[in-house]
Amino acid sequence: MKVFIDPPNSLILFDLVERSGHEPLSSMAAIQEKIDKTEIDMPPMNVTLEDVMKGLKYAGIEVPSGIRGRLAVWGPMIEEAEAAVIMEDCPYSFGCVGCHRTNLMVRYLLKRRKIPILDVNYPNDEEEAKDLVVRMREFLGGLK
Amino acid sequence: MSSERETRLIVISPASDITPDQVTRTIHTMGKSVTVKEACYGAVLEGPRDTVLWVVSEIRKLDPNGIFTKVRAYQAGDPRRCRAHHGTRPGFAQLEQEWNDLWKIQYGLNCADRGDKASERKVREKLPVDIFKKICEVK
Amino acid sequence: MIKIAQLSCGTEYSSVQYEIEKAARSVGATIVHPDVSAGDIDKAVERFGFKPQSPQLKLMIARAVQLADRRYDADAVFIATCFRCAEGALVRNEVRRFIQDNTRLPVVTYSFTERLKAAQLLTRMEALVTIVTRKELLARERQTGITVGIDSGSSTTKAVVMIDNRIAGKDWTPSGDVIKSAEHVLENALKEAGVLMKDVEAIGTTGYGRFRLGKHYNAKLVQEELTTNSKGAVWLADRQRGEATILDIGGMDNKAITVRDGVPDNFTMGGICAGASGRFLEMVSKRLKIEVTELGALADNGNWRNAKMNSYCSVFGIQDLVTTLGDGKTFEDVAAAACHSVAEQVYEQQLQEIDVRHPIIQVGGTSLISGLVKAVGEVLGSTPIVPPNSQYIGAVGGAILSSGFLEGY
Repeated sequence: MKVFIDPPNSLILFDLVERSGHEPLSSMAAIQEKIDKTEIDMPPMNVTLEDVMKGLKYAGIEVPSGIRGRLAVWGPMIEEAEAAVIMEDCPYSFGCVGCHRTNLMVRYLLKRRKIPILDVNYPNDEEEAKDLVVRMREFLGGLK
Repeated sequence: MSSERETRLIVISPASDITPDQVTRTIHTMGKSVTVKEACYGAVLEGPRDTVLWVVSEIRKLDPNGIFTKVRAYQAGDPRRCRAHHGTRPGFAQLEQEWNDLWKIQYGLNCADRGDKASERKVREKLPVDIFKKICEVK
Repeated sequence: MIKIAQLSCGTEYSSVQYEIEKAARSVGATIVHPDVSAGDIDKAVERFGFKPQSPQLKLMIARAVQLADRRYDADAVFIATCFRCAEGALVRNEVRRFIQDNTRLPVVTYSFTERLKAAQLLTRMEALVTIVTRKELLARERQTGITVGIDSGSSTTKAVVMIDNRIAGKDWTPSGDVIKSAEHVLENALKEAGVLMKDVEAIGTTGYGRFRLGKHYNAKLVQEELTTNSKGAVWLADRQRGEATILDIGGMDNKAITVRDGVPDNFTMGGICAGASGRFLEMVSKRLKIEVTELGALADNGNWRNAKMNSYCSVFGIQDLVTTLGDGKTFEDVAAAACHSVAEQVYEQQLQEIDVRHPIIQVGGTSLISGLVKAVGEVLGSTPIVPPNSQYIGAVGGAILSSGFLEGY
């Protein structure tokens, strides 16, 4: 199944989803699709004005351009997702998931789709890491 | 075989005995049409998608719970994200942080393989106002 | 290569990163991103004291700390966040303040939308580069020989002839064709100065038409208006040493520049909305069927409190004006309200992006509208200095700086 991971660029989530035999939907894949388009020359990410305008599907013009641009890149993947794993309290998330408001909106858009979602917390110690891995295995193993 | 380009970060848990050098040498000896570049955290692997996925599954066998991987959007050395031109990538600090914590995930995977169960989730509740009031009033 | 450190949030997903880099490249600079490691970020945010929710803003703070601690080498700083992001706006301004408190690097801040194009940033980037590469020239306090400055602005074109540190001839005209307007004012300025074109030793051009004029006259100096205007303003106001804020409410964009010994170290220019520019006052005058030059005196005798005009948009502003006139308010009160509305918006938009340093030197064509100067004084709580010939700052700056080339700069 296609499992959206949030933060969408997390190594830990990507790896754990892939180990379970599912397809992680990540920001890396969405960005690769953009940057491999050789006909567009808008480095570094090939996000164009048209993309940001497409973001109006998710948020109005009074919402900052950075949010609309991000939503335009990830929106199709959110719509494609059959399940999701959302990790809270991450001590990181720079780069493509650098905007807190976008992250809130992405989580909301996922929840609105009413697909199976697992909410987990970033582990602070070994025990919490064990819980994370076990809960993810149970959740992902139960997806059909 | 899918010829679509796939670039992968191979990231070794700090608690693993495997070294980046071992990873790259093992990949070289596989004789596949992929390129591999050693990195402080492991390696960057690149090639046709199906070949890369096969190599990843093989390389995981070196230490199944100690080797992790994720896709990288940009090709290795892509000038649009090259550190030499633009400084650190925005996502590098995150990768650094996640790499630091991989030993915990490695431990979690080992526990899960043993069949350990998840503990009850502790929900931290706020102190009820009446109790807090009593504490404040004690003198 | 001049290195401009970019501290920003949202540029890549707003489709503007390419435009920023293009603007920098076109003025011989390169955009750099100070290196930080994961371990630096929390410490930097803790030290900075403002803890934003957005991780990219934390990264922006950590990069600023790298610059402040001289752990990363750059020549200038460009700080930008998305327009309409409250968290970004707060961090943008505080990071700017932090950089100024801890370094001597010139800084410019910008709030962008997805429609930003490199051309809009060109003047700002050029100014950053000028401040870095032409330090000695900008430190020049006297004009020597016979030189000319031409300022080709969006509303008016001005020319000044200077001889041995005094203005010998000057003229201005509403901008039409760039070359023809310049030729016209230059001819009159030369006539007033009593010199011939062949006697002119150097020419400096500035303003929107600077590149065309520079080529046409083979000018020794072709320079953006931020640094040129600053030089002209401090020379005209005789405030060449120490600190000051230069406020230029222009025909299309407003500029607020802080200077130290005549050299800008922080500036902001209106970019997204021109609702509070001199153009609005022109529109008001047209509706009142008076010359814009008469608006100031009219406003001096009015009370802005009697007429409600506080729209952000010039179109709605005119609508306010029509309603107010319909209510029977006097032209004086309406003129005062229009001036007050512009002053208030300049305070809300430009002056929040810099730390105002006193004295405030108000320049440009709009500084001749006394009602506007009075309104700025009321809003800021301190009366601005309006030097003589304040509308000629750009041309004067061009004449002073171009004379530097006569001494082998």
